[in-house]
Amino acid sequence: MATDTRREERLWGPLEWAESRLHLGPFIAALLHVRIPRDAKTFYLGGITLFLFVIQVITGTLLALYYSPTPGSAYESVLAITSDVEFGWLIRSIHHWAANLMIISLVLHMLRIFLQAAYKFPRELTWIVGGGMFGITILFGFTGYLLPWDQRAYWATTVGTEIAGAVPLIGQPLLLLLRGGPDVTEATLSRFFGIHVLVLPLMLAGLTALHLLFVHQQGLANPKRPEPRPGRPGPDLTTEKTKPFFPDYVLDELIAWYAVMAAIVILASLFPAGLEAKADPLLTPEHIKPEWYFLGIYELLKYVPRDVGIIGPMVLVGIIILLPLLDRNQEVRPRRRPIALACAFVLLVGLGYLTILGGR
Amino acid sequence: MPDGLQQTTSESDVPTVPDANRGAEEPAVPRRGFLKFLLSFSVVSSIAMTITPIVGFLAPSKAANAGAGGKVLAGTLDTLPVGKGAVVAVGSKPAIVVNTAGGVKAFSAICTHLGCIVLWDEAASNIVCPCHDGRFSPATGAVLSGPPPAPLPQLTTVVEGNDIFIVTG
Repeated sequence: MATDTRREERLWGPLEWAESRLHLGPFIAALLHVRIPRDAKTFYLGGITLFLFVIQVITGTLLALYYSPTPGSAYESVLAITSDVEFGWLIRSIHHWAANLMIISLVLHMLRIFLQAAYKFPRELTWIVGGGMFGITILFGFTGYLLPWDQRAYWATTVGTEIAGAVPLIGQPLLLLLRGGPDVTEATLSRFFGIHVLVLPLMLAGLTALHLLFVHQQGLANPKRPEPRPGRPGPDLTTEKTKPFFPDYVLDELIAWYAVMAAIVILASLFPAGLEAKADPLLTPEHIKPEWYFLGIYELLKYVPRDVGIIGPMVLVGIIILLPLLDRNQEVRPRRRPIALACAFVLLVGLGYLTILGGR
Repeated sequence: MPDGLQQTTSESDVPTVPDANRGAEEPAVPRRGFLKFLLSFSVVSSIAMTITPIVGFLAPSKAANAGAGGKVLAGTLDTLPVGKGAVVAVGSKPAIVVNTAGGVKAFSAICTHLGCIVLWDEAASNIVCPCHDGRFSPATGAVLSGPPPAPLPQLTTVVEGNDIFIVTG
């Protein structure tokens, strides 16, 4: 504490000026100066996902300065961003790659939480909010995909909204609501643009704040023992080895962010975001495929009746989001959770197999 | 504080009921409950008032749902000899026209599986969807193979001289 006081006394001039008026020091200290279990292995995936979201907000804002959301000019504006605007290809490619990496890091983050059983008491709500964030991230991908208005974008959206339209009971109204009419037209493009740049960022920012608040309040889970429940005997927490969140963990997280940034720049430079022919509502290209994270479901729809192929994954997503309420086993060590791990393994292998099949 | 409020309410403003079965100090009008009802009603009506125009705004206009009507030129017998097929625009909707041995046929070109646009496969002499390889009969639009759950809706065609028309509306 003495060290902290000395640090406060030596605040940089403008900060001292602000602190003397706002008195935010205790608030920031409460956020940063917490201890986390030394056994907690996060692999920095949650922080990396947050970092990628920030990259998306910055690059997305830059792209929106040049993008024109009408069928007559959307394709041409993306072409201009890619070929005419200084660093336009880089900004667009970073947006493209960060989007893909965001989904990968989010899935890995959820997988890590699952394997370490960190979704169990008392972190059920944190997991459920995280599930909502995953849904919004997928919607980001879905709505952003249409914006270049090329053949791939147009037909992926046609198929995607058709899938939404086949949902029992609410399908048709949902399809009309999404498309702004019976077909994918300029109304769809306007809606998707509005949802992509306004609605979803605000929703994700709000849920992220809530998620971080929960994580801060509950601390990181220890993957080696269940959280003690009130009124029941638990392990002696005074002997638990911990380390400071700031600066130790924050510094590690920053290093991870730099590594991710380097990976994105390399990927964007070597494999820049492409653009196919302009959308033609009368011609579905042969071998059209959606983005890789929808390939599994797209392939599944080839083999099972449409209703099964749509309702099945929806039920599965529902089960995953509500997992903390369904899984009553209090054990956290993987070897004591064989059924949960076997289910996850089968699901991952199945989804991976369908994705590979769909990608061929 | 709530207790104090309750006391003030029952003692001063609210008329009491001279009923032997009820306490003399019990309010005839459950003011707190009534206020709660008003508050709930205000909240619900405010939400409804906000959501109704938003939902109405988001619902597509009727003009967007209106289809094209009338007779649309889909091609000629020269461009579509027997054994050939093509996708044409009928208003804002795509249709596939096939000149079969049994006459000129036309169907909606929107695959009944996931909405992709079907093509004429001349080699196989059937209509194919490029998305999941669903195949349809050029004579009836019936599903021959693949995942489509329903046949392609048939459209009315008229051949006048050399011209092929699709009749809609």
